[in-house]
Parts: sequence; C-alpha cells; structure tokens
Amino acid sequence: MQESAIRFQPVQKLRELVARRQPGHSLEAPFYNSQEVFDADLKYIFQRHWVYVAVAAEIPEPGDYVTVEIGKEPILILRDDDMQIKAFHNVCRHRGSRLCADEKGSVGNLVCPYHQWTYNLAGKLIFADHMPEGFDLSHHSLKPVHLKNLEGLLFVCLADEPPADIDVMLEQMGPYIAPHQIENTKVAAQIDIIEAGNWKLTMENNRECYHCTGNHPELTISLYAYSYGFAPKAELAAGLANYENIVKDSHERWEACGLPSAEIEKLSDVSGFRTMRMPLDRKGQSQTMDTGSACKKLLGDIKDADAGGLSFWTQPNSWHHFMADHIVTFTVLPLTPDTTLVRTKWLVHKDAVEGVDYDVANLTRVWNATNGQDRHLVEESQVGVNSTAYRPGPYSPYTEELVEKFTNWYIGRLGAGLEQG
Amino acid sequence: MSSVNTHPDTHPQAADLPWWQPGEDSTLQCVQVREETHDVKTFVFRAEPPRRFHYQPGQFITLELDINGESVNRCYTLSSSPTRPDRVSITVKRIPGGVVSGWLHDTLRPGMQLNVLGPSGEFSYVRHASTPYLFLSAGSGITPLMSMSRALTDLASGADIVFVHSARSPRDIIFRKELAGLASSHATFSQAIVCENRQGEPEWPGFTGRLDAARLLHMVPDLMARQVFCCGPAPYMASVRQMLQDCGFDMQHYHEESFNFAELAAAAPDAAVDEISASCEGGFNVHFAKMGDDLSVAPGQTVLAAALAKGMRLPASCTRGVCGTCKTKLLEGKVDMQHEGGIRQREVDQGFFLPCCSKPLSDLVVDR
Repeated sequence: MQESAIRFQPVQKLRELVARRQPGHSLEAPFYNSQEVFDADLKYIFQRHWVYVAVAAEIPEPGDYVTVEIGKEPILILRDDDMQIKAFHNVCRHRGSRLCADEKGSVGNLVCPYHQWTYNLAGKLIFADHMPEGFDLSHHSLKPVHLKNLEGLLFVCLADEPPADIDVMLEQMGPYIAPHQIENTKVAAQIDIIEAGNWKLTMENNRECYHCTGNHPELTISLYAYSYGFAPKAELAAGLANYENIVKDSHERWEACGLPSAEIEKLSDVSGFRTMRMPLDRKGQSQTMDTGSACKKLLGDIKDADAGGLSFWTQPNSWHHFMADHIVTFTVLPLTPDTTLVRTKWLVHKDAVEGVDYDVANLTRVWNATNGQDRHLVEESQVGVNSTAYRPGPYSPYTEELVEKFTNWYIGRLGAGLEQG
Repeated sequence: MSSVNTHPDTHPQAADLPWWQPGEDSTLQCVQVREETHDVKTFVFRAEPPRRFHYQPGQFITLELDINGESVNRCYTLSSSPTRPDRVSITVKRIPGGVVSGWLHDTLRPGMQLNVLGPSGEFSYVRHASTPYLFLSAGSGITPLMSMSRALTDLASGADIVFVHSARSPRDIIFRKELAGLASSHATFSQAIVCENRQGEPEWPGFTGRLDAARLLHMVPDLMARQVFCCGPAPYMASVRQMLQDCGFDMQHYHEESFNFAELAAAAPDAAVDEISASCEGGFNVHFAKMGDDLSVAPGQTVLAAALAKGMRLPASCTRGVCGTCKTKLLEGKVDMQHEGGIRQREVDQGFFLPCCSKPLSDLVVDR
C-alpha cells in the first residue's frame, strides 16, 4: 500500500493529497482507507455541509422524534407542539449523557434517562432535581442544530454558519417535490445496511449506471438504458432519438399536470444537487418488477400513475426516487474509514393499507435486490483500493460524469475546509 | 366564643363606605371566632379600613398568611352571605398536622389582621339563577352552599332548595342547628343529613351510611328538575357525578367546586399535601399489580404521594407531571390527572398515566 503507507502529518499531507488529485480519475487510496482522511471527511464535509437525515413523515405528531448520528455527533430531530420540526444535539446539558438512545420514539418532554433532567420540546431545561438554589435552568438549554425542511426531506447542518446556498436548493426543488406530499406519507419499510466500504465508494457507485446492466437485473427492468448513460455508437442513434422524444413528450405531459420535470444540475454548488423527472420503461409507473404501481393509493395530488420517476441527488450523502405511488429515499452516513450506513426508506400514502393497497415485499423487491448488489460492488471496490496495486483509474466521459462531479465537489470542499482550518 | 368590644364602627354608616373590590389586596380584621364543632371554627372579619363586602355567594377569598416566617397563600370559600355586607366569615376545619388550619385555629384571635385577596370564583347560583336547587355537600365543603342558602333565605327569594349534607358523624355536622332553623322557617327550604356513623350520638335519627343514588332519589324525587351545586372532597364529588349520571341527569345542570387543591399545592407543596392526605375521609384503593401492594389514597392526594408516604419506591423525579419518569399503565379505574407536558394524549389514550400528578377518581389497578 504505497500511498497510504505514507505516515503523513494530517493537514499538510491532506493538502498534498488534495492538490495532486488528477481530474477525471478516481481518488488515491488514502481517500478510501485512511483514518486521517476519514476524520477530515467528518470535520470538513459532514460537519460543515447540509446532510440529509430523515423525512418529516417519520415524525407525524407532536413529540415524535428520530435520532441520527453524524460521525460522533448524536442528533435529535423532533416535532414540537406547533407542528414545527426542530433539531438538537442529542446530549444532556448535565453530564453529557445521550438523551434519547432509541432510533425513534415519542415523548411529552425530553427527559434524560440518567438523572431526569427534563427539557421541553423547544429544548429549554424545565426541570432539574437536586440542584442548588439559584441554579438557573435557562442557562442549560439543549444546543440547537440547523435544520431545513425541503417539502418533508430533512437536512441538518452542524456548522455554526451553514452554507447559505441551501436556499437555492429549497427554492428550486420545492416545486418538484411538493406534489408528492411527503407529509401525507408513512414509512412502509426501512432497511439499514452497513457496507464494508468507504462512504465515497458508496456515493460514487450511486452516481453512475455504467455498472447497472451488468449487475442490476431488477432495477434495469424499469430503466431506459439511455437514461443512465451509454457510449455513443452509430447503431444506437435511432434508439437515442426515440428516447429523447419520449422524454420530451413525457415532460410536456407531466409539466401540464403540475409536475416539474426538467433537469436542474447544480452538483458543483456548495449545497450541490441535481434533479430530473425521467420516464420509466414498459408500464412506466414505478420501479417495480412489472413496472406497475406498487401502491394503489397515489401520492399527493398526482392523478396519473404514469408519472415516471423524479430522481434527486444531493451532495454529500443522499439520493431519492419519487414516483406517483411511492418514494424511495436513501441516506449515506460514514461510520469508519471502511464502513458506511446506507439507510433506505420506502414511503407510501399514509392512508394506504398494507396487504390491501400495497405489499411490502413487492414494494421493496427492486431496491432490496439493488442495494444488495451495490453493497457487493462497494465492498469489492474497498478490497481492491486497499491493494498496493491500486492506482486511480480514468472515468468514462459518457457514463461517469456524475462520479467526476461528486469527486470534484468532494475534493473542492475538502480543500476549502483545509484552507479555512 | 370570643369577640372584640363593641366599637362604634360596628355600626358604620353603610352608605358612606366604599365597596370591597375583587382582585384587590386588602386587610381584614378578625372580630369573632366561633366554634362550630369540635374541630371546626368560623372566623368573622370586618374590612380594615371599613368597607362593605360585595361578592357572589359561593365565592372564595385567598388569605396571605405569614406562618413561622413562611409566606403561605390559602383559599377558603366564604361561609357568610353578601346580604350582610359588613362582615365576612370563613369556616375552617382543623386538619391534624395541617399547618394553615392549625395556625388559624390556634393563633388567629379577634383583633388580629390578615391580608387577603378576593373575592373570586365562579361557583354561585347567581350564574345559574333558575330554581329549584339541590345543594350537595360533604364535610367542610358545606361553606359555599351555606353562603348561598343564607343569601337566598335572607332575600326571601322563595327559592326551592333541598340541602343534602354528608358528615362523618353527628358531632361533625357543621351548621347543624342553622340548617334545621332554615328548614323550619322557610317553607321552600328542606334539608337532609347523611352520617357515615352514629359515633358520639347513638340516638342519631337521620340517615346513616353513605349517599348513594337510591338514597338521593328517595330524598329528592324531583332531582332531575333541579340545578345541582356540589362541594366536598374529590372522591365525594366523583361519586355524586357518577350517581347523577347513573340517574340520567343532564350534567349541564351540575356545578361543582373543588377545594382548589392545585392552588394550595402550588403555594405550599408539603403543607398542602399534609393537609390533603390528613383530610382523608374514605379515599380510594390502589392495587399494584406486579408488586402486589395495596394502598389507600386520601382525597386530594396523588397516587405517587400516597405510595411514597407508605415507603414504596416508585420511579419518579419531578413530582409534578413534567418529566414523565413515573409513567405507568393504568389497568383499571379513573384518575384526575393534571400534568405539565410529561405525557402525550395518545399515551393517555393507550392507558398510561403519571402517578405523580394523578388523583384517583375510583379504585385503581396499576401496572407496577
């Protein structure tokens, strides 16, 4: 392991690594397997950018909460009595105990299990027994965390001053996501998998479909080959033209029903994102084995099951597929240099009845299979990049531009962090 | 009985005097202390400087007392009638171990002055001026209903009143002679007294036992046509509500006054708990299903307070419905829960309650 064998002094060596990154190529091994880079990733990427963590539909009622850990930062996200969603550091102001250890739950007030210090849903300490006279409750409120709610997708930022361009994403993405009405959905299924690979391998794998034909028989049933990149060849010209017509016609039809569809590509922004509503093949309704709807109750105001799939990607850690009948949403959270949590949630209309309107096995079949296949790909990549033989390789200019945009964004943001300190 | 001397201003020129204002701090001077029963005294006050008392019969005043250097606020309904505007009175039962009632009984003498706030409260026939009435009281809960009875009879209103009072024993009947006197001198006023036992008066001729629906209907056959005013310990009022509901009574015509325990507890938690628990007349049983323990909870006492008093260790912290540490499944029974955010309505819907801020309204079985 040549590169990673360098015992670099963190910041200086990190700067060197960043500076010598070769555009158009995968990253050097230390980016995928060194503790120093991983620590820098948490500090400069995950603590300074907007990180996607949950959906509002998981906490439908006042007092509902979910917890998440971003590196070593435990976060609590809850809905207060005014139906507003708030985020706090999940850390008691007494002796630091984690307040809520469960992944989700429901509370009246927030009570530390250790010594029962009690906070209201605004994070204000309202009760602390055994403390002396003159102890001022108001000086011990929970520490808030910045939170943005994009039509039900919840993003948090641990920075003191979060990137302001999140507002561009909120403004531009709002109309795309709003018709699916996340607030009127429920989580029909959630599966967490831990991939034995660096989080960037997970993200890079997500940003291309070069690998799809060879690896994802279930997913590619509903995907047009032309939608995920291909190398231009003469014999494909007719098919491509046909696909472009389908996109054009579909976009016109969807836009007329109030479903914004055009591509927006801002992957190089600090709060980078991309979206596009894409036609699905065959029945064109959903990412299912027969491409038909997985749930009889359509989402929000959508009348037509044939609404394709709105895909939404964010830097640094999420992707989402919004269909007429269900939503699949993915969160990626780094655990160690070579383990990563991939959390998948399937959302359906909150009034849909399991076994009547939808079947969980049918709903989850495509992405369960796809996640398993992707996990294998990521883990095999991790084995490979750990080898002394690994050298950064070139990306396909046709099918891996989005991988390049991800790694470019990452190198740029890490470099900026290292400069700012 | 003792009283201050007959000073000229015991007959003030009423027309020249200002009125007593609700919500305004004022000073009262004790002018008389009367013994009503072995443990009940009436304290009579005049305003200082002189004022005329104007209030609704059934309202309460708040005494601001300084007891052993501690400031204590305590509410008492007025037993006097506004038809006699130069004086007000409160009638107080001595609670064993009760700090405030003990102080009033032992210390308050004619000539002494107290700060008071009042009058206030909405428990008055004035707000429901349609007769006939049924007045139901137990123990010292008689005071607001006595005030109403005195006012209505003083005014020769002709109001049709049935007054049913419950006491522990004949010697505990407050205003016994006066109630009998009102009944004998007013054709439309009748009274009945129910004693739990005949202690101290084996020849007691009235009802014994506890008030129940059958007895109530027997005493008040036209019950359904009356406006009901009720005051007494929480379990008593709970049983009255149940009786009335069982009879199919329209509860829109039911009005009750508690002893304002919430305010008492906020003002002086320990003293109030002492007084409340000591004032036990009956109370409810709580069975702890897992521990196998049984507990008697006094009227006005919380389940947690009773458990702690018995030496049981239940998980709890704030004792006022904030933290929810004591959250427990209520397997059987009903409680009056006054929480401060420590439990969600949907948890209540699922059968949970907070013992620290819940007073039983029936016997309980809890999952501890």
